[in-house]
Amino acid sequence: MEQPRIGVYICHCGVNIAGTVNVREVVEYAKNLPNVVEAKDYVFMCSAPGQEIIREDIKKCQLNRVVVAACSPTMHEHTFRTVLAEAGLNPYLLEMANIREHCSWVHTDKVAATEKAKKLVEIAVAKASTLEPLEEIEFKVNENLLIVGGGVAGMTAALDSARRGFRVYLVEKKPILGGNTARLGRLAGTDMRGVDVAGSMIEYVKRNGMITTLTNTELVSVDGSVGNFKVTLLKKPTYVNEKCTKCGECVKVCPVEVPNEYEFGLTKRKAIYLPSPASYASTYVIDGENCTKCGECVKICPVNAINLEEESERIEIYVGAVIAACGYDPYEPSVGEYGYGLSNKVITLFQLNRLLDPEGPTNGELKIDGFVPRSIAFIMCVGSLNTTPNSYPYCSRMCCSSTLKDILLLKEKYPNIDVYVIYKDMRTYGRDEQLYLTACEKFVKFARFREAPKVSVTGESLEVTFFEETLGEEISIPVDLVVLAVGMKPPKDVEKIRTILKVGCGPEGFLKEAHLKLRPVEAVTDGVYLAGAVTGPKNVVESITSGSAAASKAVGLLCREKVRIEPTIASIREELCSGCGICVSVCPYGAIIIQIKENTRSAKVEPALCKGCGVCAASCPSGAAQQLKYKDIQLKAQILAATYKR
Amino acid sequence: MKYPPNFLVIKVMCSGRVDPQFILEAFRRGADGVMVAGCHPGDCHYIEGNYKTLRRMTLLKRMLREFGIEEERFRLEWISASEAEKFVRVANEMYEKIKALGPLRIEEV
Repeated sequence: MEQPRIGVYICHCGVNIAGTVNVREVVEYAKNLPNVVEAKDYVFMCSAPGQEIIREDIKKCQLNRVVVAACSPTMHEHTFRTVLAEAGLNPYLLEMANIREHCSWVHTDKVAATEKAKKLVEIAVAKASTLEPLEEIEFKVNENLLIVGGGVAGMTAALDSARRGFRVYLVEKKPILGGNTARLGRLAGTDMRGVDVAGSMIEYVKRNGMITTLTNTELVSVDGSVGNFKVTLLKKPTYVNEKCTKCGECVKVCPVEVPNEYEFGLTKRKAIYLPSPASYASTYVIDGENCTKCGECVKICPVNAINLEEESERIEIYVGAVIAACGYDPYEPSVGEYGYGLSNKVITLFQLNRLLDPEGPTNGELKIDGFVPRSIAFIMCVGSLNTTPNSYPYCSRMCCSSTLKDILLLKEKYPNIDVYVIYKDMRTYGRDEQLYLTACEKFVKFARFREAPKVSVTGESLEVTFFEETLGEEISIPVDLVVLAVGMKPPKDVEKIRTILKVGCGPEGFLKEAHLKLRPVEAVTDGVYLAGAVTGPKNVVESITSGSAAASKAVGLLCREKVRIEPTIASIREELCSGCGICVSVCPYGAIIIQIKENTRSAKVEPALCKGCGVCAASCPSGAAQQLKYKDIQLKAQILAATYKR
Repeated sequence: MKYPPNFLVIKVMCSGRVDPQFILEAFRRGADGVMVAGCHPGDCHYIEGNYKTLRRMTLLKRMLREFGIEEERFRLEWISASEAEKFVRVANEMYEKIKALGPLRIEEV
């Protein structure tokens, strides 16, 4: 390697740095560090004249490394890399010392802060001496898009992307599109039902030639990286083809009965069933898990639409970006939690939505055992806000508004019904506050609990007991029906999706945004985007909005011809590698393989897959695996500089 | 938010990059304390790097004990990018403990 000639540039950042750090002293200190040929300071290094100082010096002093001591690299590393490139140096020959966030902003003692700034510069100079030029890796972008989840968020993302001319593969594990929204009944703030919203989207999706819909299909694996993913899917059979006329003869003869998930278990369905009562459900389907293949349906079907021999199909597709829109699951109380499961008079909010839906199991009549209840208690925050040991800590956002919307519907239909809302906090945020005000006008009684209320079920009667905060005493309310306003939880298979897509998740299990505020619909994995409630509780409007947002981000990537990725990835020095394979086992991305050349085993990194975490480098027993820009020798040089006493 | 100025930060992309040798090297060269800070378990930017860190550092802690290096001198902490307050609290705590212990003396073998 050529002899390093380092220029050190120290920024005042106005008074941000210079107010605490004696910059002149740091400059003098830097001048005496090994390999430093020039050291200067300037009031704003990132400004045009500041950048010009560096460009000039690179030429004048024949610098081959640059250290900028200024703010966080997140802020200006890119700026200064560009400066190097403009002056004809490889941009990766830059090292930044963060003397603002790591020094002047967090210390008050000027002498000590100046000493620390000197040390930080020394560490950066030590690293700079070991830097090597690196070339960014460039890939061609595949224009197709994969969307996982056919709820409103996924469908919105599909429609938005397809309308901009991109091929979309819309994958849904259920036999039908529509997601949870389709089952929600009347939506808050509108006269539309969930099924109308989902239905109109399904129509647009069907009509759009750029969208390939794959229902009853699961994600098996996703390999590759941003711009180039290879996706394997498994399309499971529904055993019924498009000849089906929905005559329903098959249902009459099917001997298998299971709870109907579409109605949240309020009714039963057969193993052959219609996945939705809505018109867009075009055929019956057979649920392969419960079907006994007795063949009765095949015998009776008048149009020969059923084939029990149908098999699963593996599908391979190539895409440039992925949107995960796998939604949520409603929180399911355990048996006995608020009396749930002990009486058919304790139901969840989702079940109530079905009962109030004109297409629901009771055609919109709220009848339990044939009677309309005279009094109902709604218990809020079930599964949310840590109300019970099984609960999640977060607020599920939609339950307060959704509950009040249902109550107003009930009050319209049964004006004499007595309604109690037993809540921990009422959070009808934004425009939904109107629902709360209207509910108050309709004499809905609100009571606040401190500890989760107890629901006692004795024979036919129900009683809700709790300590009422405002009255300051324990009260008991006998009611005919208890509705549990259950929240949202991460979908059942989120862990599988997370592992396949290699994205992070938060402590509750929802998929995690790359940055809550700056990158809310992007996953940490480049090329993977997140839409809808899979990142946390959202209402229908918010899910649709995030679907559009994710689509615009994904399209922003797909319309680029090429992607460049940082070259700070792993590399193997073959002559040191014994082929032990430890790196292969620790790599979370499957980016390292063992190759056998002339009977010698050695590891090899696939640059397109490596994300540059460096875990292989820390595990390699022989020092063969190294992370570029974070090599052992480079980090040790920094440690040495940090501990060196001058 | 302030913390003692004798903390120097060396950046790695993931706590999983930290080879226990780096920590031994730092102690050998005269550091009085070393902290490895990473994202919370289950919250790794690189999927699971911090679990590997956890395993490695657990073993390292035992080794440091055998070397006679007081356990307060080494800390593994889960501090996310948004937890400045936690960083400050941990740094101050560690500073106080190490100050009480005094400088680390390792005899050259």
